[in-house]
Amino acid sequence: MKRLVTIFITVLFLGTLAGCGAVPNEGPGDGASSQAGGGVGGDGSSVGRPGGYGSNLDDPNGTGGMRGEMGRLVHFDFNSAMLTAEGEEILAYNARQLSKTSGRIQVEGHCDERGTREYNLALGQQRADAAARYLISQGIDASRIKTISYGKERPLVRGHEDQSWAQNRRAEVVPQ
Amino acid sequence: MGQVSLTGLIMGRWGSDQQFDFFKEYVRNGMAGIVTCRWGFGFLNWAGIAMKKLRIAVFSLLFLVYGAPAYGALSIDITKGGLQPLPIALSDFVDLSPDGTASPQGTSGHRINEVVTADLERSGLFKPLDPATFLQTPVELWQQGPNFRGWRLIGADAVVSGAVHEKDGKLIADFFLHDVYQGSLVGKGKRFTAPVRDWRHVAHRIADEIYTRLTGESGYFTSRIAFVANKGDMKWLALMDQDGANRVDLTRDRTIVLTPRFAPAGEQLFYLSYERGPPRIFRWDLYTGKRTIQGDYPGLNSAPAWSPDGRSMAVTLSMDGNSEIYLRDIHGGGLRRLTENSAIDTSPSFSPDGSQIVFNSDRGGSPQIYVMDAADGGNVRRLTFEGSYNAAPCWSPRGDYIAYVSGGGGRFRISVIDPKGQNSRALTDSWMDESPTWSPNGRVILFSRQAGSQTRLYTVDLTGHNERLVSLDDDLNGSDPSWSPLIR
Repeated sequence: MKRLVTIFITVLFLGTLAGCGAVPNEGPGDGASSQAGGGVGGDGSSVGRPGGYGSNLDDPNGTGGMRGEMGRLVHFDFNSAMLTAEGEEILAYNARQLSKTSGRIQVEGHCDERGTREYNLALGQQRADAAARYLISQGIDASRIKTISYGKERPLVRGHEDQSWAQNRRAEVVPQ
Repeated sequence: MGQVSLTGLIMGRWGSDQQFDFFKEYVRNGMAGIVTCRWGFGFLNWAGIAMKKLRIAVFSLLFLVYGAPAYGALSIDITKGGLQPLPIALSDFVDLSPDGTASPQGTSGHRINEVVTADLERSGLFKPLDPATFLQTPVELWQQGPNFRGWRLIGADAVVSGAVHEKDGKLIADFFLHDVYQGSLVGKGKRFTAPVRDWRHVAHRIADEIYTRLTGESGYFTSRIAFVANKGDMKWLALMDQDGANRVDLTRDRTIVLTPRFAPAGEQLFYLSYERGPPRIFRWDLYTGKRTIQGDYPGLNSAPAWSPDGRSMAVTLSMDGNSEIYLRDIHGGGLRRLTENSAIDTSPSFSPDGSQIVFNSDRGGSPQIYVMDAADGGNVRRLTFEGSYNAAPCWSPRGDYIAYVSGGGGRFRISVIDPKGQNSRALTDSWMDESPTWSPNGRVILFSRQAGSQTRLYTVDLTGHNERLVSLDDDLNGSDPSWSPLIR
C-alpha cells in the first residue's frame, strides 16, 4: 500500500511538472498514465486510465491540449451517448490521424460513478458505439474498430463531484 | 488447495436435521443417557435402562402435552415495520460429554449460541436478553426445564434451551423453544447434525427454526452471499455466509469481475468477467469448480439473469446495434430477442413463476422500470413514473414486490414497488445505493452503498426499518451482492 501511495504521489508530481504531457506510470494496472492539464477534481484525486497512444496525440484528456494537438477522448453529457459538436471535431481529427495508418483500434466507452452498474455498462457501450460510428462515417474501415464498455469501472479521475464526473463520461480511441 | 476441494468446501452439503418425537428417538438410538433430566422427571434417569419402556411411555405422554404446536400464543407479525422486537432469552447450549453429563470445559454450546443470538438480533425482530440477568444457568435450564416464573420476571417472552455433543466427527445439537407466558413448548424438540467444522451452519439452522416458529415464515440465516470484493485496485469474486463469516475468494487477479448471480438452486453462479478482453458472461459450477462461457456475442454481453427453473437466462447484448434483452438456453441454444427499440434495455429479472421479466429501459427518455412477458417480450407495461432515474430491478422471490434503485436529487435509493406499479416507497436514503438483492424469504434486501471511495454491503427490511451493515473482514469493500437461496 505504501508503495502505491508513493507511486501515486510521484505520478501526480510528475504530472504537474509535465503540464499537458502524459507520464508513464510504472505502478500496478495496465499501463495507467497520469492525466494532467484537464483540472483534477477538488480532492486531487488519483487517476488511472489505459495509456499508450502515439506521441502525436499527447494530450490524454482531449480538452487542454495545445492548439492543433487534439486528444483521442470525447466527453458526454450526463446519461447521454450523443456526440457533442466538440466530440465530433475530436473524432474527425482522430479519423484523419488513423487514416494515415492501418492498425486496429479499440473504442472504449465510460461513465461516471452515478447510476447502476448494468445501466452504465449499456450506456458506456452506447458511447463507444456512437464514437465508432462517427469514425466509420469519416472513412475508417469498420473492420479496424472494436468497441468495449467499461461502464463505471475505470474512471479517469476519482473525484466525486461534477468536474470529475464530467471527465469520466467519455469515449476513448485506443490504438491496439 | 485444489479447486475441487475448495469448491467442495464452498458448497458442501451440510448435515441433516430431524424433527422427531425427541425422547423416543433418544431411547431407540440407545442415547437415553444424554438427556439427563427433563422437566422435573429427572428421577427417571436414575432408574437406568430397566426403565426404558416406562420412559418411552412417560415421554410420549410428555409430548402429547408439550409437543403440540402452540398456536395463537407467541408470534411476530413480520409485515409490520418498526415493531417492538420480541424479547427472547437465548441461553448457551450445554456441552455434553459422551456419557451425557454436562461438560463445563466445552465451548461449542457457547459459540453456537453467539451465532444464533447475532442472527436473531440482526433480523430486528428479536431482542436477545442479557444472559447476566438469567435466573437459571444453561445446565439448570436444560436439565430441569424452564422455570417460567423466573423467565417472566426478567421479561422474556420466549426461552431457548439446547445441548450439543459430538459423535463420530459430527456435531449434534438439540434444542427446544419455550413460550414463557403459556408455559409450553413452541413446536417440538429438534435435532441438527452436521460435520463439526460446519458448526456455524448448525447455529444458523437453529436460528432459522426459531424465526420460522415465531414468525410463521421461512428464515434466511442458512444462506450465502456472492459479491465483488475490492481492495486497492483489486476486484475479485467472493462468497460468504449471510452474516459475513466464512468468506471464500473465488478469483483474485486484476481482471474486472462484476454482477455475480446465484442460480435458483444456489449451486451455480453467473458473473461478468473481462478476462477475455470484452465483458463476457461465465457460469461457475460451485460443486465442480467448472466454468463455462455463456456465449461470446460481439459488443456488450452483460446483465445475466437466471430463469426460476434454472434452464434459461435473460441477457443483455449489444450486437444488434443497441443494448437489447435476449432469452437464451444456458447450454447455448435458442437465442431469442425480447426487446426491440433504439433505447437501452437491460437488467432483466424474472418473476418467481418465470412468466414475466422486469427490466430497465430508457425508451421513454429516462431510465425506468418495465415489465414484459418472458416468453416473447410482449405485453410491455411501464411500472415507474416518479423520478428521472429508476434502474436495476430485482423481483422478490415471494413475487409481491420488485426492488430497484431510484435516483433523484443527487441521491440513489433502494426502493420497492409492487408488480402492478403501485405502492412504491423508498427504503433507504443515501448518496449511492445500488444492486438490490432479496433474502430467500423476500423480507430483507441486501444492497451496496457507496460513500466516497468506500463501498459497503447493507441490509434493510422490506418495511424500510432495521438498516444494518454487513461487516466484512480485512476492511474490504463489497459490491454487486447476490443473495443465495436457502442452503440446506
